[in-house]
Amino acid sequence: MTAPPSVTSAVRVEALAVRGLVKTFGGVRALDGANLTVATGTIHGLVGQNGAGKSTLIKIIAGIYRPDAGVITIRGRPVDHLTPARVTEHGIHMIHQDRLLVPTFTVAEALFLGQEPRRGALPVIDRRALRSRAREALHRIFDIDLSPDALVGELTTAQQQIVQITRALLNQPAMLVLDEPTAALVRRDAERLLATLLRLRDQGLTILYISHYLAEIERLCDQVTVLRNGVDVGTVDPRQTSTTGLISMMIARDVGDMFPRRKAGAGAPALIAQALSQQDAFSDISLSVRHGEIVGLTGLVGSGAKELARCLFGVTTPDQGTISVDGQTLRPGDPAAAVAAGVAMVPEDRRGHGVALRLSVRENTTLAGLKRFSPFGLLNRKAEHRETDRLIRALAIRTPDGNSPVRDLSGGNQQKVVLAKWLSCQSSVFVLDEPTVGVDIGAKVEIYRLIADLAVDGAAILLVSSDLMELSGMADRILVMYRGRIAAELLSRETDADTLMRFVTTGRGGEADADAA
Amino acid sequence: MPRRRHRTGWLRMGSLAAFTVVFVGFAIAAPGFLVVGNIANVVDQSAILGVLAFGMTVVIIGGGGDVITGGIDLSLAGNLGLSAAVFAVLSQSGSGDVLAVVAALASGVAVGFVNAFAVVRLRILPLLATLAVMNICAGVELVLTHNMVVQARSSLLSRLAGDGPFGLPVLAYLLLAIAFVLVLAVQCSPTGLRLYAVGGHREAARAAGLAVERHVGGSYLVSGLCGGIGGVFSAALLNGSTPGSGEMLLSIVVAALLGSVFSRRLVPTIAGTLLAVLFIGFLINGFQLINVSSYWVSGVEGVLILFVVGTTSLVRREMS
Amino acid sequence: MTNSWLRAGAPPKPRDLLRFGPVIGFVGLFVFFSLATSTFLSAANLRSVLVNHFSILGIASLGMTLVIAAGGIDLSIGTAMDMASLGFIEVLAVGGSTMAALATGVAAALAVGVVNAVLVARLRITPFLATLGTLFIGQSVEQLATGGGQPIYLVAGHPLAIFNAIGTGIVADVPVALWIAAGAIAGFFVLLGWTRLGRRVVVLGAGPGVARYTGLPVRRDTALVFIAAAGICGVAGIVSSATIRSYVPLAGNAYLLDAIGATFIGTTLGRDGRPRIAGTLLGVLLLSIVKNGLLLIGWTFEWQQVGTGILIFLVLAVSFGHRREA
Repeated sequence: MTAPPSVTSAVRVEALAVRGLVKTFGGVRALDGANLTVATGTIHGLVGQNGAGKSTLIKIIAGIYRPDAGVITIRGRPVDHLTPARVTEHGIHMIHQDRLLVPTFTVAEALFLGQEPRRGALPVIDRRALRSRAREALHRIFDIDLSPDALVGELTTAQQQIVQITRALLNQPAMLVLDEPTAALVRRDAERLLATLLRLRDQGLTILYISHYLAEIERLCDQVTVLRNGVDVGTVDPRQTSTTGLISMMIARDVGDMFPRRKAGAGAPALIAQALSQQDAFSDISLSVRHGEIVGLTGLVGSGAKELARCLFGVTTPDQGTISVDGQTLRPGDPAAAVAAGVAMVPEDRRGHGVALRLSVRENTTLAGLKRFSPFGLLNRKAEHRETDRLIRALAIRTPDGNSPVRDLSGGNQQKVVLAKWLSCQSSVFVLDEPTVGVDIGAKVEIYRLIADLAVDGAAILLVSSDLMELSGMADRILVMYRGRIAAELLSRETDADTLMRFVTTGRGGEADADAA
Repeated sequence: MPRRRHRTGWLRMGSLAAFTVVFVGFAIAAPGFLVVGNIANVVDQSAILGVLAFGMTVVIIGGGGDVITGGIDLSLAGNLGLSAAVFAVLSQSGSGDVLAVVAALASGVAVGFVNAFAVVRLRILPLLATLAVMNICAGVELVLTHNMVVQARSSLLSRLAGDGPFGLPVLAYLLLAIAFVLVLAVQCSPTGLRLYAVGGHREAARAAGLAVERHVGGSYLVSGLCGGIGGVFSAALLNGSTPGSGEMLLSIVVAALLGSVFSRRLVPTIAGTLLAVLFIGFLINGFQLINVSSYWVSGVEGVLILFVVGTTSLVRREMS
Repeated sequence: MTNSWLRAGAPPKPRDLLRFGPVIGFVGLFVFFSLATSTFLSAANLRSVLVNHFSILGIASLGMTLVIAAGGIDLSIGTAMDMASLGFIEVLAVGGSTMAALATGVAAALAVGVVNAVLVARLRITPFLATLGTLFIGQSVEQLATGGGQPIYLVAGHPLAIFNAIGTGIVADVPVALWIAAGAIAGFFVLLGWTRLGRRVVVLGAGPGVARYTGLPVRRDTALVFIAAAGICGVAGIVSSATIRSYVPLAGNAYLLDAIGATFIGTTLGRDGRPRIAGTLLGVLLLSIVKNGLLLIGWTFEWQQVGTGILIFLVLAVSFGHRREA
């Protein structure tokens, strides 16, 4: 950087401070008085479990959400009515998880979009200057020779990340906010990114760094703030604090009787996957789930857990390996075959894949078992109504009646509709992908109850979740994925949450050390 | 990744090769094909389609490639008919060329403004909004012309329809001139680049601080202006206004979409559209020369559009 | 989001009244035309509205409604109509039997549907472009078959019971064309509202991701939708050509915008914005009486087109404005 923001070591103004942020979504408190103070010229980490309120906090800082209460100050001055554009004016640049780049642009165009060099006063882009400046910027900031003419859509994820960060740094911002920047990167690229961030910090840049990878936090951050249940539970120096210490701050201890008691099931194997592989997602995965058993599956973003769940249901096709249900091999990549064999899927994207929001509770509920209410292809509306009413009662779905659009229901009740859909066709194998995300605590307990009842009735359940409390409380065994492979299989009753967290964030059981990525 | 680049290149090369094969084939089969006069004639005949296809190209660039939710301007052909009618009616009633041209262009821009308003403000799907506007244009055209040929003769029209330097048609020169201006504006200017960003990834454009709505609305205004210019051209070529301009709509869509295979990024470009328009022009011309019925033309265009869309969507799927 | 039952009891907001715009418009225009002209309310005129405007557009709009309900669009409904009409009249013209003519007509329309189905469901081309391509190819086929667009007329003395039956026949005091329309409407009403396939189609349109994640046969349903739409448009084409005793090339495209317009007018009726048969029919009725009424109050054909264009534009504006709120 030609002119790093001036930092006098004597007086360090806070680059960013938030006080008492509150944000509620439909009755669920995502943030409950959270505080965060980022000192100028430091790398500040932000960690917390899924649902702890990290992404809400970041979106408020980015100007995307408006807080219900609380104060934000940037370099000592209070600011309100933030918009994404104003945040940029204040010198804060965000790097969100999803890459905001035009895929058909060249690297140079993507870097300088909105501030293109021109030929003198003419409204014509100076292509040569554009290219040389792009090359120079990439070289200066990342020390790489990425061709300015390469198309963004043809770059690797890491290269796109580099373009995005370089773009943010072109205007010499005072502060950079990175949300899970290494999640989709392979280890070598992640290493390189971390080294660059450290160098930028030494040149005076302030960085707020959000990550699940605790090893990265320890290597990188000067301070780290831990969020839990929408509140900051503490800010510590990660180099002075052990991984175990951090983990225990992240996990709530007061869970009480959220999880129903249940005997570990041990029926015949229901769902068996053998040597499943899918390029860029997971490789050589073998697992089995018995009738009456709840098996947890977890891993960080990019670990392959989600991809595996989708593949098991047939939404995507594996490159290798087989999936069988009750001894019968499934046709790969065919959800209809999976459903016919008794597999049910509760997808993570509830509003996109789980329920059709514009349709009624009834139309959603009877969808999977439609055959039962339509002899000769004709709908028996009366039987359909009866079944819907039965399921509404059985699952305690809070809706005026079966004809109300699902859009009007709360997140938890929408999720119950998804479960009801599969109960109407009597599935025996359930793949549940984050079944309680965005669900308030009351509905959560009810959903846990339902899942446990299903297992007691002999269903085989694969519970994919990043909520470790949920896994410990519900699953009999837990499979931990790390970078595309199953890193560990743990028995829940022999595993405490801290150990589980260590496996998830580091891929191994011992005290994490240099495993930075 | 290299596999993908390979495919894109293959598609582009294949399209250029198809162009060449057709060209060479006609040159061999029809003796009169490869004569300067004939080629100039094709460019001349392509002027109207070309100008309209440029307008469509600009709208697709700003709206993105998805035809349902993205940008499309179905009112272009209707706009052409309306503007030609405005010109012819004014000209016949004794107004001067200047007034007639200004009125024709203004009616084109007005249609573009209605589209822009419907898409940006009312947020109607471009497909449906411009479809309705197309019908309104056709209706107003009928009102003006009573569904009859309106003769228009003026010094401007005869000069437009005549020959320019080197004995080549004036419209051919004008088409190339308009193409040149638009290439500068769309392919070389910052505004053009931003228009691509707005169409290519709306969120990214917004994050870069671009005024998305203004760009999208502007693209419909440009398209409307193109419709107006096309109207004047058509009045010159046909000596006035004749009903039936609506038939051109499908060729306009084909030309704009076909053009994208000539670009490395598989996006619509002005130069690519010009190539596609000339390709279609040579195809029609060649058919005439070797005595193949012109009734085949729209069928061939239909197959072309399906081929282009089928292969690009295949390539895109492999890319993701 | 929560407490929807509380909201259900709340008084309707002004915006909710927009939903009834088409109904109010229909009633208003009906009263207006009745008062403004002496002929509008006559039995002969209303019958002519129903036979000449409502029945053919109504049948064709059923196909459009089905496709739009499934989340697609079909620009080639006119092509399917024309192909059916061409096949039907051509077979009669060369002296084929009535049954053969009907079968050929329907088969020709279904062929258009199969082409669309392959393009959309198998090659995964977006419906708009796929059906646009079909429209183009159909145009060539029609021009080639008719020497560039010459209509095929059957001489007046053609002794064909079929024309008398479909074109001018009356059963139980109701024109046969209307009986056919009523049958088609009933069939599609049952298909979309009361069958398993219809339910899957609705889900496909309302949430394609949900259909996929529930293991529904998405491709097969998509294919069926396009084939069924083309088939019913074939029926419209046959009725139309039986009424005018001829085949006019490219005549079907005139119905395209009206069919889309009618379907979208229909979507404004429900709170969920979903295409419904009843809504579409209201749209068709609205367009029909507008055309007829404008004619009766002395508007020329040209002004009628401007009027309907503006009407559809306004309906789209209201429809999308309403949806934005939701």
